Amino acid sequence: MNAPLPWFIAGPLIGLIVPALLILREKQFGISSSYRFIGAVLLPKIPYFSYQKDGDRWQIQFALGLILSGFAAYQVFGAFDAVVIQPIRDYEKLAVNIYDVKNGLQFFVGGILVGFGARYANGCTAGHCIMGVSQFATSSILATVSFFIGGLIGSFFVNPFIF
Amino acid sequence: MLKFIITLALGFFFGSILLASQAFSWYRIQEMFHFQSFHMFGLLFSAIATSAVFLYILKRNKQKSIYGNEIEVKPKKLEWKANIFGGLIFGLGWSISGACSAPVYILVGLHWKIGIILLAGAFVGTVLFALVERKLPKA
Repeated sequence: MNAPLPWFIAGPLIGLIVPALLILREKQFGISSSYRFIGAVLLPKIPYFSYQKDGDRWQIQFALGLILSGFAAYQVFGAFDAVVIQPIRDYEKLAVNIYDVKNGLQFFVGGILVGFGARYANGCTAGHCIMGVSQFATSSILATVSFFIGGLIGSFFVNPFIF
Repeated sequence: MLKFIITLALGFFFGSILLASQAFSWYRIQEMFHFQSFHMFGLLFSAIATSAVFLYILKRNKQKSIYGNEIEVKPKKLEWKANIFGGLIFGLGWSISGACSAPVYILVGLHWKIGIILLAGAFVGTVLFALVERKLPKA
């Protein structure tokens, strides 16, 4: 598990999910609406969550598949991720295990920003970067550029101080 | 039931690719933002290119779904302030947590402690948005 699956194999396989979802489920690729669906189930009184949620139900099933893939990987390979990926120059001291619970607060805050930002931007890496940009949608190109600018700021100017 | 199994299988497939290519990993995300490897860029660009080619073919062939319906592909509505401000916030969270929406779920299975923390965070963020969304600039 040292070398990653090359990008020129992994990328096209990810791209294939878009037509597969359209043909097999009549759905446009996206993940982050699953969070809104959970909100609709748990907190239906909030106006934003009282919507036609049935159209997003499939995302929960998709998310379940994602969780299972992580679980299966753990069963087969153990906690293979952090230690085997070549340490990135600026983060060598974190090479042992970034996913330690001692970093829980940083991950929690990161998660809040991901959840808030995805809903505000109306999509995430799946819905905007892949599904939207491949349609050449202005909204998605704008969002994708913004994702990267936000990411550059976080990775260069926030992470060195919080990890 | 068939729909459920199809969707579950596609999710499992997507997760497996993100795991095998290490794209789910915090380290790969930092590496990308520091331009230290082409891996993530190649992965994203080739995913987008593949998707674009297939969307073109589906449209040209007027491909129907397995349920016999026309396939409709709609671009997301342009709300430039929401796309930019939301995008910046999302990007910030993406770089801190090293995970976007799909890897959050993968991590629930892989490292359940940090995964649950991340998922809880993403849900709290969604609820916060739901509470303030009417006051936010969008278009």
